[in-house]
Parts: sequence; structure tokens; C-alpha cells
Amino acid sequence: MADFRLQRLPSTTPAAALGARILAIALALVIAGVILAFVGKNPLALGLQVVTSSLGSSFGLEDLGLLVIPLILTGLSVTVAQQIGAWNIGAEGQFYAGAFAASAVGLFAPLSGGWSLVGMGVAGAFGGLVWILIPALARAYANVNELITTLLLNFVAILLVYYVSTDAWRERGGVANSATPRIKAEIPEFWGLVHWGLPIAVLLALAMAGLLAFTRWGYEVRLIGSNPAAGKYLGIAARRHLITVMLISGAIAGLAGMLEIAGTVHRLQGGISNNYGYLGIMVAVLARGSSIGVIFAAALMAFILNSGIILQTQGLTTSTVLAITGLILFLTAIGDELSHYRVVRDKS
Amino acid sequence: MTEPSHRYVVPTGAAPLVQLKGIAKYFPGVIANQDVDLEVMPGEIHALLGENGAGKSTLMNILTGIYQPDAGEIIIDGYACQFASPVQAIAAGIGMVHQHFKLVNAFTVAENIHLGWSETPRRASAPALEERTAALAQKFNLQVKPSARITELSTGEQQRVEILRVLARKARVLILDEPTAVLTPAEARELFKALRDFVSTGNAVIFISHKLDEVLEISDRITILRGGRKAGTELAADCTPAKLARLMVGRDIVLADMRARPPGAAAVSSSPVLRLRDVSVLNDNGHTALHGISLDVRAGEILGIAGVAGNGQRELSQVLTGTRPAATGVIEIDGHAIAHANAADFVRRGIGHIPEDRLHSGLAPGLSITANAVMREYAKPPVTIAGIFRPRAAKALARQIASVADVAIPDFAMPIRNLSGGNQQRLVARREMRIASKILVAAYPSRGLDVGAINTMLRYIVDLRNAGAGIVLISEELEELLNLSDRIAVLYEGRIMGVLDNDRVDIDEIGLMMGGRLRGEKGAAHG
Repeated sequence: MADFRLQRLPSTTPAAALGARILAIALALVIAGVILAFVGKNPLALGLQVVTSSLGSSFGLEDLGLLVIPLILTGLSVTVAQQIGAWNIGAEGQFYAGAFAASAVGLFAPLSGGWSLVGMGVAGAFGGLVWILIPALARAYANVNELITTLLLNFVAILLVYYVSTDAWRERGGVANSATPRIKAEIPEFWGLVHWGLPIAVLLALAMAGLLAFTRWGYEVRLIGSNPAAGKYLGIAARRHLITVMLISGAIAGLAGMLEIAGTVHRLQGGISNNYGYLGIMVAVLARGSSIGVIFAAALMAFILNSGIILQTQGLTTSTVLAITGLILFLTAIGDELSHYRVVRDKS
Repeated sequence: MTEPSHRYVVPTGAAPLVQLKGIAKYFPGVIANQDVDLEVMPGEIHALLGENGAGKSTLMNILTGIYQPDAGEIIIDGYACQFASPVQAIAAGIGMVHQHFKLVNAFTVAENIHLGWSETPRRASAPALEERTAALAQKFNLQVKPSARITELSTGEQQRVEILRVLARKARVLILDEPTAVLTPAEARELFKALRDFVSTGNAVIFISHKLDEVLEISDRITILRGGRKAGTELAADCTPAKLARLMVGRDIVLADMRARPPGAAAVSSSPVLRLRDVSVLNDNGHTALHGISLDVRAGEILGIAGVAGNGQRELSQVLTGTRPAATGVIEIDGHAIAHANAADFVRRGIGHIPEDRLHSGLAPGLSITANAVMREYAKPPVTIAGIFRPRAAKALARQIASVADVAIPDFAMPIRNLSGGNQQRLVARREMRIASKILVAAYPSRGLDVGAINTMLRYIVDLRNAGAGIVLISEELEELLNLSDRIAVLYEGRIMGVLDNDRVDIDEIGLMMGGRLRGEKGAAHG
């Protein structure tokens, strides 16, 4: 008689991790399909519809391309902060702050064309940086938990943008009365609707991965992130590194807000982030601390979001779509854990 | 050797109090126990001896219901038992005192004794609990202060509370996991006396240790575990330390005097390399942990720091390596006073540090073995050139350190927390020795290592001394200090009780100093 049991391994191979994820996503889709079949939909037809609409047409691919830009950046923002052991739950607020600052420059600064874009980019990054400045200093000097501070500042930024877009900066005589006038400076598009923000986001992710892996600074950041006491043991200026990394994290989220304004929406309006800041947390979790992994996780998240939009046009409610999204993430998390296990056979 | 005055005489034909038969326990990739038999008679002190990782703790965790065996039987008083939890084991009369006490620090002794105990009166005032505790203390002849809070007690007193707590629950088998590791010699003698009293009424003690001498002193029989299997059970009277060491490691171990210098070894320098002058240091809570300490460390010597853990050793090792600032006093390296202590600066000056809690302060557990191995040299070529960190060069250096440390590493990208404690310790030691051109501060370097690995570790330290570095060796093992040190300083409650030359050392005197007497206070013997 052979006896089978599970054995947990301390680390997992990349192949096993990837396999577990693919399995998890497939399983989530099967479960979703069964449920859809129960409520009278044809899951296969819907699935085909999703795949052909998002991957089979240039329209679908362009939508994906636009969605993936902010997701890469907010995911990167959260991932970078994680490297030093900080949870930036405020990418949402920094996104808004960046969009706000970039719009201010775009609307009011006497700059033209390319210079206006550069100004908006600097302002966007700076806006995000300012928005995380207080949480960063509070964590560094008073050990105030950044989870709370960054989260709470989100609401401030969201309401600030609602205020200016429906009041102070509102487009007078506009149609909706809930957005600023159109900002003239626009990031040029290089493929259909997709603008140069996409290569910028990808390059930024690669650059962060490089900084972390191939610089002395990156090594110190990873070290402190893994064990702050080790930083003390080595005499590394842990506080300075913490502040720097958190400010970079905020600036990246702020830049995401600027790209959304200058590349995609062209006006500041309430709800402009589409929850990209919070979705960035999920992207970061899926990327498991890898800056390059963020690119792929963001692509997956964009595909899920895009599928959701398509499914909604097919008569599925938002709740159903959210449930399927949740199912995929949930099973992926379980798959990540299970990839540590293997079945062994006891000889008896 | 003192024989207990009232030995318990086992009635003929009596069943063993505890009998384990063919116990096996497997963990992922590890055989923790296999085919282990153990028999403990009433009235016996039975020692369980073995290297780290020999399976002693696993076996006791099975006996106390923390783990369930994968095979084998537990027989108590002749009846087969199965313990699904520690509660069932204590109900069967088996209690354990762990190495790390499980007491509630903010509670009084009486409250700790009565915590989670079915016999605790439902409505009891503090005086009532204290009265009950005093009665229990009287009954078992264990001196405790019922109204004292645990934080106010010394380690020895805390241990007594733990033992009393187990005995109050009518334990007939008392398991002690390395009980003397935290005690002064005097406290250990008191413990031994209490244990002999306990077994004289037909109870039994299982005594886990890796200290050969004390095992021979206290126990009646000794069971030796090796690699998860039983290597034998011997009568203590038939054993010698050498025989036990052989059974334990499967080869002969020489506990040699390692102070002798081979030809060509660096001589002890005349002037100190590292000097503390009236240095006081605060601990994390802002209390003074070191009171005006003065110490000299010379090149080519080993300065041993003796003392019971928790008397300022941690702060001493930190102030010597720049990881904790001195509140007052002067630190001099090569005659130059250091104004602002900074660990990186000390490293540049050639001072290495094997910290006492390597996983928490000397390593980044979640990072790769490579990242951890290069922690001291990441900032300079070949690992970093012009600010660029070179993973390939880092891995080459890590490989080099691992090979010198004799640690086999399957995958350098694996998080270092996956390595065993002993292998982590070897890597840290080798990493620090590479940079310790002037001074190595080694806090408990052999802690967590088995006998064979300890010898290797001590040999490393001696080699470094021969190469001309000054060594500060902080240890609780007197034997280790005596074997290695040229001079021994005794630390007690943040003060140096005295510095002794190893040639004229008197173990009793060190023991007294560890207990708080100043050097020469012993009486006329040295007068």
C-alpha cells in the first residue's frame, strides 16, 4: 500500500508558480462558466465574445493598452514601497493629487506644446510626492503606520478633485458641469488610441527593477525592507532610504494621474482614477514584489477589467463581473500557496 | 558525586512510569525520530542527550502531546495512551518546563501558577491565591515569592515558578529542556537538589541537555539520541564524558586547550586596539545597561566575557561594534577616540560582529543567501563598482564564503531563512571573519551548534587570533571560555566584576563573580 501525502516546500520554482496560476485562472473561469450556465447564459459564447472583442480586434487591444498604463504605474508604486517594507494604500490619492497638479499646469501655466507636457509630468509626479510626504515623514520619524495615513489621504484627494472639477475649475457653459475645460497639451498617440504613456510606464517599471537589482542603493533598500534591524547592524541610513522610497512610490502614482489626464481623458473630473490606485494593490500582490512582474500583472488585470466591460454590454450586472474578478484573484492566491506543495508517496 | 540521601527504591516488577516504543516522527524532508525507545522508571532522573537536531525536542513534544507520533506507542504506568493535546498529557501526570518560559510577565507568581488550571477556585482574591501558592511552594520545597511579578524575578526564580506550576498540576514526570542554560552555577546546584527531592518520592525527571558534565552529575541513566535515532541508554555510573561525547556525535571529540599558539602566530600587542573607558550604555528601554565599563582588547588575544545572559552582554557587543551609541565614556580604536558611533565606520576599521540573535539582527531572513553573504562587502569592489551592484560578483563572493564555511548550498537564490540555524551561524561567522582584520566581537558563536560544529567554530576563532586579530568572545559556556580565552572578564548587572588571567583562574571565583561578587571578595584565600 502506498500512502500519499502533501509536503510543503520552503520555496517554489517559477514553473510551478506559473502553472498554479494558469490552473487557478482556468478553474475560476470554469466556475464562472457553470454559474453563468445556471442563470441561462451561454458561457462559451460569452467567453468567445470576450476574447474576440478584447484580443481579436484592434479596438479591444487599444482599450487594453489604455487600461494597462495606469495599472502598471499604480502597481509599480505599491511594489516599490513594499521593497522597503511599507504598504502604500494611498496610490489612489496620489493618482488624484498628480492629476490635480498636472491639470493645474495644463490649464493655467503659460507653457506651450511639448513644454506644457513636460511641466505637467513634473507637476504630476510632484503632486503624488507631496501627497505621500506626510505619511513618509510620520512613518520615518514617529513610526506612524503608513497604512492608515496613506489610506485616509485618499479621501482628501478625491474630494479635492471633485471640488475643483465641479466648482472652481469647472468648464463654464460646458455640457456636464462636472469637468474642467479640455486641456490642450496632449500626449501623442503611437498606435490607434494608445499614447506614449504606455512605453513610458513599461520603461519606468524596467528602470525600477534595474535600480533595485543592480545598484548599491537598491541592495540597501531590499535589505532594510527584509529586516530593519539588519540595516542598523550595517549602519545604513535606514530612515533616509525609507523616505526616498516612499516619495518615489508617491511620485510614480502621481505620474499615473498625469498620464491619464494628458493621454486619455484630457480633462480633470471626479472619479478619474477608476479605482486604479486600489487596483494597483492587487496588481502588486499578483506581481509578488517583482517590478517586471508588475507589467504582466497589470496586463492580466487590464484584461479582466476589459472583459468586465464587455460582459456588461452583454447584459451581465456589474456585481457578476466583480464576482468573477474576485474569484480569479482569490483562486490565484490559493494557487500561489499551493505551488509550495508537492505530493509525496510514503513507502510502507 | 553526591548521592541523594533518600533514594527511591523501585518495587520489583513495577512498570516503568513512562515507556516509549518505536516512536517515529517525520517532517517534510526530515526524519525527526525513528525507532526511538525510552524507558523511565519511578525515582529516576533520566537524561536525554544529543546534539542539536538529534530529535530530543521532537521526542519530548510527542510525550507531552504537542505532536502526535507517526508510529510507535506511548505507555504510561503500563497503559497505552494517546495524547491529542498537552492538556491530556498533563492530566496523565506529564509536565514540561520549556527552555523559553511560558509565563505572563505582567502577572504575579500566584496568578501564573493558577492560570488555566482547573483547580483554581472560581472566586479567589489575590491574597487567597497567594496563600495557596505559598502552600504549594512549601509542599514542593520551592522558594518563590507569591506576590512578586514575573518581571521582578531573576531567571532562576522564574524557572522555579515554571516548575512549581507543573508540579502543582500533579505531574509525576517532569521534563526539563536545558534547564541550566539560564542559571548561575549556584542556581543550578539548587535546581539539582530540588530535582532529587522530587524523584525521591517515586516521581521521575527527564532532563534534556547537551552539557556532558552536568548530565553525569544529575542523572541515573542517560539515553543518547543521534540523528533522530537512539544511540543507546547507559547507566551514568558507567559513563565518562569522552564516552558520552562519542555516543553523541559518533566520533571522538577532543576538548582541548586551544590557547597554545603555533609557531608563526601573531603575538599579543602591547597596546590595546580597542578600548572602552568608563563607558555607560542605555538599553532599548532607556535604562542603563552598562555602568562605566573599562576594557582593553589587544591584537592577537582572546578576551572572554563570562556571565549569565542578560547582564549587559547584548549592549556590550553592540557598543563594541558601533551599533549602539555610548551614553557616556570614550571608545578608542587604535588610540583614536570615536566621536559618533556608526556601524559602517566600525566595519571599515576592521571590526566584525557575530551578533547573538543572528536571524534578527545579522541577517535579512527573506532575502537570498547571496544577498546575506555579501552584507559586509556589498559596497566595495568587486560587488559594487561605481554604484552598480553586480549580482554575478555577489554570487561569486557568496559561493566563496559558503565554501570556506563548509556549508553546502543547493541554491544561492533561496531565502536564507530556509537554511538551518547552524548553517546560518557558520555563514555569518565566515562573513564577519573576512572583514575582522582588527577585532571580532563574537556573541555566543557556538549557540545553536552541535558539538562537531562548535569545535569547527572555535577553531575558526583561534585561526583569526593567530592571524593577529583581537577577539571578544561572549559566552555562557565557561568551558569554552577557559579553553580559548587569554583573559576572562566577568559581567554582572552591567558591571565588570573583574578581569582574570586564564593562567591563574579559579572556577569557583568566576562562579562567585557571575553571581555578583567583586574579584577578591571571596575571602582570605586570595588575600
